[in-house]
Amino acid sequence: MSIETLQPPPAGGDATAELLPSPAPRRRRRRTLRSHRLAYRLILPAAVFMVIVHLLPTLGGVVISFKNLNTFTFAKLFGAPWNGLENYRAILFDSANPLHSGFVDALRNSAIYTTTVVAGILVGGLAIALLMNRQMRGIRVIRTLMLTPWIVPSFVVASLWGFMWQSDVGIINKVLVDYTHVLGHRPVWLIGDNSIWAIVIPSIWRGLPFAMLIFLAGLQAVPRELHEAAAIDGAGPWQRFTRITLPLLRPLIAIQLLFNVIYATYQYAIPVVMMGTNPGPKADLMMTLIIRQSFSNNLFGFGSAASVLLMLAMGVWVAIWYRAFRRDLELAT
Amino acid sequence: MSTYPRAERRRPLLSPRARKRMVARGLDALTCLVLLVMIAPVVWLILSSLQTEGRLSSGSYDLLHPTFKAFSQMWREIDFEHYFVNSLIICTAASALATAFAASAGYALARYAFRGSRTFSAAAIGTQLIPGSMFLLPVFMGMVWLGRHTPIALIDTRIGMVLVYTAFFTPVAIFFMRSFFLAIPRDIEDAAQVDGCTPLQAFVRVVLPSATPGLVATFVYAFLFAWDELLFVSALTQTHAETLPLGIRLFIGNYQEEYAPLMAAGVVSTIPVMVAFFATQKWLVRGLTAGAVKG
Repeated sequence: MSIETLQPPPAGGDATAELLPSPAPRRRRRRTLRSHRLAYRLILPAAVFMVIVHLLPTLGGVVISFKNLNTFTFAKLFGAPWNGLENYRAILFDSANPLHSGFVDALRNSAIYTTTVVAGILVGGLAIALLMNRQMRGIRVIRTLMLTPWIVPSFVVASLWGFMWQSDVGIINKVLVDYTHVLGHRPVWLIGDNSIWAIVIPSIWRGLPFAMLIFLAGLQAVPRELHEAAAIDGAGPWQRFTRITLPLLRPLIAIQLLFNVIYATYQYAIPVVMMGTNPGPKADLMMTLIIRQSFSNNLFGFGSAASVLLMLAMGVWVAIWYRAFRRDLELAT
Repeated sequence: MSTYPRAERRRPLLSPRARKRMVARGLDALTCLVLLVMIAPVVWLILSSLQTEGRLSSGSYDLLHPTFKAFSQMWREIDFEHYFVNSLIICTAASALATAFAASAGYALARYAFRGSRTFSAAAIGTQLIPGSMFLLPVFMGMVWLGRHTPIALIDTRIGMVLVYTAFFTPVAIFFMRSFFLAIPRDIEDAAQVDGCTPLQAFVRVVLPSATPGLVATFVYAFLFAWDELLFVSALTQTHAETLPLGIRLFIGNYQEEYAPLMAAGVVSTIPVMVAFFATQKWLVRGLTAGAVKG
């Protein structure tokens, strides 16, 4: 029941920090051609699945984004008429088109959601990891219990918080208004201006423990002598944190940043379970918009074009991320 | 106010050691407070599930008299067992398949430098960059096409969902398994091959058994994510292969705000992943944090 295994694995074990491929050590080249054939056979099942479920359908999605695929043409599947760049033009520039304003809303909401959720997860995760890195009675049990929110499935998180946010019977308003009188009136959380925070806060709550776990493992790997030597040289706790701890954690921060941004941008379950397929203009995220327009309104061409734009945006993000953290990744591998 | 620092300098209120201890106690208290805040919603989930619908919707909780009524109500009102069994079967099968594929691919990446290995790794990471909305529709259309032109029925079947989920969770699992294989010394395969094993036999008979913790951790990791998946299952199933995330929505959608059974369903939906996590926690945490610590 305790996390006592946060120790270095036997050898250069590596699940997250080394996700980017690294050149293989030269000595491995000695392997014979026969072994190479074995290697290809070993990756075959995974490769086949990735091609059939990821690669080909993604190409199909790009094709659909140039087609006029809707309720009337759906029966023809990929035989639907071509539409050129019309889907893209409607989304990006056609202000008379309701899809355009919906897209702008969702883009703004997704930007707010992703920024606040990722910042909350990383800053909160690091702060709590520092707190958990101390010695105290029962700290192992506490570390384990801290992981609980991460194991609660997203759809349960969303139903639970949807209930807690209820204006009249929800526990949050009961605490804020009835018990502590922090607020004089009962805020409405699930509709209107507050609704974005109704999905941001549970997302941070669920994502934070995992970041904490990773940062805690990183903190425990920082050699104690570094801190002791710096303390002897007169560095205070804050200086030791910014000059020793943070630089050593940079590779972990980089990986957490990359994957949390992707995960938050593609978030779908939490808003949909909490608020339904249309969370309203203040909480509609890119994914809820795209899925609603595709599967409720059958605007498949629009959905695919918006997906392509979203994927391009993600590609830009990864490129920026890679430029910013390339050196940390080289150090890590 | 301004004389306070001078007074302190003359005769410190607390010795440095006592002050240090005070700070430590304060941080201990803060740690407990943070823990309390983090687990409070889970505690609230459990407490609410033990109330009746009437108490929850009127806001008059009676925490001293828990009742299991909501659980039986939830089981009766929607066919909860149907969703639960589907989730168990689909997620178990998909996680097992994904772990098997990831083990073999992860082993290839850990042991062989073959041409295309970097492309393969990059492609596996690349799959994580694709939004689900991008390939959901083509997957759906492909399944519809297969159903029309061949006897392969994938729409609204457990097999269809298993295949999709297997593909979803294999890429990340590959890197998971690779890290576990890198930690296993190469000597044991060399010894096995000296004893007359082919490389494949050495992998299956010698390396895989010693990678059991890694296999279990990878399986549980995939299971946690598969259990959570909502988007694809909502588009690719109708009546036969729906899983828990869809079942639980019935309390929010079709019925009106039935919180007690909803919370009860939430508790029951969380139990399998909780059990899986705590049973394998030692291995899972080691696998998750392997990248964080450099030996």
